[in-house]
Amino acid sequence: MNGIVSELPWLWAGLAAYFAATIIAMWGVVPRFAGVPFVKTKQHERVVMTFLVVGVLLLALAITARWIRIGHGPWISLFELLVSQLWSLGIIFALLYWRLPGLRPSAVIVLPVMWILGSWVLTLEPTASHFPATYYNSWKWVHVGLGKVFLALLLAGVGLAGVMILRRTQRGQRWFSSMPSDVVVDHLAWRFMMLALVFDSLMLIAGAVWAQDAWGRYWAWDSLETSAFLTWLFLAIGLHVRLSYRVPAWASGLIIIGIFAMAFATYFGTPYISPSAHKGMV
Amino acid sequence: MLMTLQKLASLKFTLVGMILLAIGASLSYGNPAGTPVWVLIVPMIILAVNLSAAILTNPRINQQSGLLAFHISLLAMVILAAVGRLTHMDAHIELVVGSTFSHQNLLEIKSGPLHGGDIESVSFVQGPYSVQYSPGMQRGLTYSQVKIKDKQGEWQDKVVGDDRPLVIDGYRFYTTFNKGFAAVLTWAPDQGQAVTGTVNMPSYPLFEYKQDNHWTPPGDKEIKFWLQLKTEMDEKSAWVLEQSSSSGVLIVTTPTDRHEVPLGESVRLDGGRLQFSELRMWMGYRLFYDPTIQWMFFVSVAGVLGLGYYFWKKINLHPWMEGAAASTPKTQGGSSGASDDNGLSAPSVVSNAVSEGASSASADVSGVEGDTPATASPGSLSNQRLDSFAANGGKKRTVGDQS
Repeated sequence: MNGIVSELPWLWAGLAAYFAATIIAMWGVVPRFAGVPFVKTKQHERVVMTFLVVGVLLLALAITARWIRIGHGPWISLFELLVSQLWSLGIIFALLYWRLPGLRPSAVIVLPVMWILGSWVLTLEPTASHFPATYYNSWKWVHVGLGKVFLALLLAGVGLAGVMILRRTQRGQRWFSSMPSDVVVDHLAWRFMMLALVFDSLMLIAGAVWAQDAWGRYWAWDSLETSAFLTWLFLAIGLHVRLSYRVPAWASGLIIIGIFAMAFATYFGTPYISPSAHKGMV
Repeated sequence: MLMTLQKLASLKFTLVGMILLAIGASLSYGNPAGTPVWVLIVPMIILAVNLSAAILTNPRINQQSGLLAFHISLLAMVILAAVGRLTHMDAHIELVVGSTFSHQNLLEIKSGPLHGGDIESVSFVQGPYSVQYSPGMQRGLTYSQVKIKDKQGEWQDKVVGDDRPLVIDGYRFYTTFNKGFAAVLTWAPDQGQAVTGTVNMPSYPLFEYKQDNHWTPPGDKEIKFWLQLKTEMDEKSAWVLEQSSSSGVLIVTTPTDRHEVPLGESVRLDGGRLQFSELRMWMGYRLFYDPTIQWMFFVSVAGVLGLGYYFWKKINLHPWMEGAAASTPKTQGGSSGASDDNGLSAPSVVSNAVSEGASSASADVSGVEGDTPATASPGSLSNQRLDSFAANGGKKRTVGDQS
């Protein structure tokens, strides 16, 4: 790569803002600082929120700068997908963080998960990608938009799942002492899972319409479709298990994390490792 | 009978079917040639039987309109998918510019045993087309002109390509990456009538390096053709593939001779005279027919709307962070699930609920019995707590605090 392309400074700044939000969120749950007025009065949560919003805005600028530079949106390469997901996960988690104060300490789990994407994107070259003809289709917006909401809801669920699991340890209990009981956390986590199932289903429908237009078939069990279907199925199985059996909170958390892991592999693995992923994708 | 249906409707049976379907889908990953389709069909049949029984016998499903709509839509989608497979048609065709579609020229035809479409009546004429390429030989937009007859019998021009298929009587024609050049040849045998036909060269520019093909005149020896093309192809710059800016020379090889034949020229061969009359292009189309796709769309959307409606009602029964403001963090390891029809409430709760005076458990009970709204007092109290919690910048405020 020659020189620094236009989107990189904004990307770095956005990731720095997320990093700051992560550190302050972690600071807020450490029992040693519980007596510090800044933490005691929950002022640190406002700072976390501010850094999240700033990060989202900076990543929006990164996406815009790249869009202007290469002529199309973040649809194609892994670099684009990661930046785009960092932006959308940030914006939706910020919204949940704002509206649902009870889940705020779970940011110490959610933000590091986002940092997996953040670290990953830093290892990639921001090379310009080719925009396939089939991507001019308007259903792409619907499909991708729904997919972003779906993944963000799963991520919020993972934060709560992590809380339930970490609370099996004494340290975890101290960290998340300001959060509601496991019962309430579990309740909220599975609400996110229910909504995720709705958005996942809508995403698959929109994707099928797009695939019909783009490739002349709505479903062909290609690698990405199979992986996406398995994610949907895992989610449906998880919901049926959760609705029908007494599941300990830690097991409930593991189920949610398993579903997220499948979704993560679908989003960030299959399209880039399979030679038979969606035509035109790679 | 009812007991049998109830056994078939068992949730354990559902989970077994789902796990088998997950295994089947995993085995189908990447469409390996050796995996039989039964790995998907058998679990789907199991789930369809289980779902039908559950719809008939399970009041959790058949007494809740949203959930009922979702599960019926799942069943309908399985049936529609089966009908679609029985009635579908998939095929390919290469159409030379200026030629008329004929179903007799279809290639690689796959159709269901109950396919009932009227492919014989489908007619259109292939016009010229262009394909844009970006630097690096990246294929861009395709504009393929076709002429179709309207209901009055008048020819109408239409441009199709990529995600804009040509749709005639339910048959959908999609342009593909597979397209190229065709040599229009006239063969005048020493004895008998002259015949004109086309020899399609391999896909261009994919096989730019081997634009060759062969043809054997009736009762004669094989003739090999190699087309030396001159197009605007440029690996480093943007360019457009189209007939009007392309030309070529045909290299004709027989067992004994080799000739370079410019466009419009002819050459004398053993047994007759061959003329290179025209250079045209051909477009490869994918043909798709499935009469269920619109139904599949509407049914699936209706099902998800039903599911969303069901969840929305459930979620609205209780505040999002029910008990969040009041519950003590010491309560660990609470089990959850089992029998809470509203799903995600907390049935086994919770010692702190008592001390709060507003039991989330009691609110849950109102939700368990279907969609009846929560009784006012616990639900509204929880809401008040949530509001005060949120308005207070996230600071915990319990009922005790308020008092």
